[in-house]
Amino acid sequence: MDKVDFISRRENVSLAAVMARKGVTAADIGGALAFEVPKEPAYRSGSGLGLVGTGPGTWLALSETLDNEWPSALEAALGSLASVSDQSSGYAMYRLSGANARELLQRGATIDLDPLAFTAGSAATTVISHIGVAFWQLDDTPAYDLVVFRSMRESLEHWFESVAASL
Amino acid sequence: MRIPCPYCGDRDSQEFVYRGDASPVRPADPAEETEFFDYVYLRENPAGPIDELWYHAQGCRNWITLTRDTRDHAISAARLTSEGKSA
Ligand SMILES: [Zn+2]
Repeated sequence: MDKVDFISRRENVSLAAVMARKGVTAADIGGALAFEVPKEPAYRSGSGLGLVGTGPGTWLALSETLDNEWPSALEAALGSLASVSDQSSGYAMYRLSGANARELLQRGATIDLDPLAFTAGSAATTVISHIGVAFWQLDDTPAYDLVVFRSMRESLEHWFESVAASL
Repeated sequence: MRIPCPYCGDRDSQEFVYRGDASPVRPADPAEETEFFDYVYLRENPAGPIDELWYHAQGCRNWITLTRDTRDHAISAARLTSEGKSA
């Protein structure tokens, strides 16, 4: 992403998909992790852990270090409450930051990213240029983190570069 | 058209896969072939409100049951199909 100065790749992050078992609530998962687990499409972070709500009873979990053991530790912490699958090599991840970041995402996603509708902590699983993505807002800069299935990385980067050139 | 996903919020209909009428119920085994024919193929085509299934493939990956009026596309209810069929 050398051509776009407000987007950078994030490499050293561990990712895992968490899917609650039948009848298990966000509060149950939160109890096991000592973490305020969002039951809506939102992003929460703390103590080196991040959770993004991706659907009812499903989350994308993040650890800010690349650690092969982390998904297993998360699985052990959740026991019979949820299934955990390592996605660290399944997604490519990006950090988008600054006013152009919102403008660029808004040109791709058909959801309202105005600060009145989408704020720090908001998250969305949606589609940009026919490519499935999930992104969430970190702060009011605004900065966003975005994940895409790794095999779609080149196509999405091409879209980033094309749209960024027009901003 | 915007579809009000109960989890994701209002989304473009292109994010969804349309599955049609939500009312047919699979016949209990054992059932006559004619019953299965009706279940698989026969559909009402009402001018008015209809419960129908939409799959949010490009979002939360959940089935949604919408109540939509076929005359003006007004959507009066949306719920996760996993939470039961009726509003
Ligand atoms: Zn949805």
